[in-house]
Amino acid sequence: MGADHSDTQPLREQIAQNQHTIDRLNRELARRSNEVRIIQQISQEITSTLDLDEVLGIVLLAMERVLGFAHSMILLTDASAERLRLAASRGYEPSGVGAEVAFGDGVIGVVASRRKMMRVGNLGASVAYLRGVRARLEAAGQMTGGGESAVLPGLRDAQSQLALPLLVKDRLVGVLVVESARPTAFDELDEILLGIVGNQAATAIDNARTYRMVESLSRLKRFFSPQLAEAIVTGGADDPLKTHRREVTVVFLDLRGFTAFAGSADPEEVMGVLREYHAEMGKLILEHEGTLERFTGDGMMIFFNDPVQVDDPAERAVRMAVAMRDQVTTLIGRWRKRGHDLGLGVGIAQGYATIGAIGFEGRWDYGAIGNVTNLAARLCGEAQPGQILLSARVASEVEALVETEDMGALTLKGFARSIPAFNLLRLK
Amino acid sequence: MATLPEEIKAAMQGVIPSHVVTCARDGTPNATAISQVYWVDPEHVALSHQFFNKTVRNVRENPRALAWLINPQTFDAWDLEIEFDHAETSGPIFDALDMQIEAIASLVGLKGVFKLKSADIYRVISVTKNVAERIPLPDIVEPGGER
Repeated sequence: MGADHSDTQPLREQIAQNQHTIDRLNRELARRSNEVRIIQQISQEITSTLDLDEVLGIVLLAMERVLGFAHSMILLTDASAERLRLAASRGYEPSGVGAEVAFGDGVIGVVASRRKMMRVGNLGASVAYLRGVRARLEAAGQMTGGGESAVLPGLRDAQSQLALPLLVKDRLVGVLVVESARPTAFDELDEILLGIVGNQAATAIDNARTYRMVESLSRLKRFFSPQLAEAIVTGGADDPLKTHRREVTVVFLDLRGFTAFAGSADPEEVMGVLREYHAEMGKLILEHEGTLERFTGDGMMIFFNDPVQVDDPAERAVRMAVAMRDQVTTLIGRWRKRGHDLGLGVGIAQGYATIGAIGFEGRWDYGAIGNVTNLAARLCGEAQPGQILLSARVASEVEALVETEDMGALTLKGFARSIPAFNLLRLK
Repeated sequence: MATLPEEIKAAMQGVIPSHVVTCARDGTPNATAISQVYWVDPEHVALSHQFFNKTVRNVRENPRALAWLINPQTFDAWDLEIEFDHAETSGPIFDALDMQIEAIASLVGLKGVFKLKSADIYRVISVTKNVAERIPLPDIVEPGGER
């Protein structure tokens, strides 16, 4: 744009051209400002629910009804934070829900790994171009084999894609994608509009996921330490609720004389004793990193080495049992003063059990099944007040740590042969 | 220097390949098809440099080039006289091009093989629009009302 006067003609044309563009954009904006109003309405709707599926549905419905994008998908990050999973879609048959995309694969995967929006209007041409490059490389012997071509959910013949990372602060929640079989279907304004909805959606999705997680967590914390409960909720490869077999040390305990006590004392008194007892036992279970499988009235079943694997399950079980006996002795002293005659019996066994979620939809429990749990329960049943009975396997594991007394072979219900048992006297 | 009109963006999405003509130092011309000429700002465009080829070599010896773009909707053609300015190996332009190449490369089994070496930034010297001859067509239904 020099000072030369002969330049003024192109300059005028340029200005006219720019004005034309501005007018066009203004017209677009007028049309879109209505959409922005509707978007505000959508964002209110999105934030009014904590149900994840509802949130996803509202966002995708808005993509079609308000913005006119017929094909849209929401993919959410999984626990590994290296893959996305298709959580909801609109305008696809079949829906493709559940399909996975690795970070770095295709437009969606790259948007996830880079956390930046991407708009492509020439997928067909780009892919054809790179296929040609690949063929030339192969022909020239510069490429042997090459990697796998990523296969992604979505339209087979997509020409245009606009993908937006769903971010809450700097954390990636997922990716929102709209696509079309038409080339250059999306423009800069679409980027802006999608960005507005996307921001709202990211927060709403994150809130709904957190809510869902907190709900599951509160249930799981019954059994597990907070860290472990979180691991279960976020899922992942070693989900402890998946059925598996593992060697565990199982501790059964109950209060001798409890049934008689519960029958004669008034209910408030019974609940008070139980509360004291559970509180103290609970502390010791956490301290020794045991897993409380269940408690029924005065009885408890605790095991070691699952879901947290430990080097010394038998030692932990024994140390916990001794600590419990000491603690209950103090409690019993108090209870005696109030006229209740109670004593603790404990049985400990070690062996393989099948562990995982047991139950049915709506009522799942985490449990262990195997001979080892039966043996621990039977030993507990045989124990006199204040006794801790060990199976031979446990006794040999902790030989160096404790003094025991050979109880001989016991005849136990459910066991064909008599079972040797050892009474744990004290820690060495 | 010239200013690119907004309107040209439609021709810069790579739907129809663009062509670039360069000259070696000794004057030997070279014309090649490229997948896309990228918009940087109203006075600059970018070409992607993935492999060392004649275009890349020529503009480093002799920076003047001509790019020929086509709007896939109207078939209007654009002639851009451009001049190689500098190569960027980081920053927002590089990232945008790199991201796009990475995405497409993974779709044709070239993940990690086909990489952006630099985003070559060119100044726009002149821009000329050549309106395509409009041949009246019989009424046809506009395809694809949806997006």
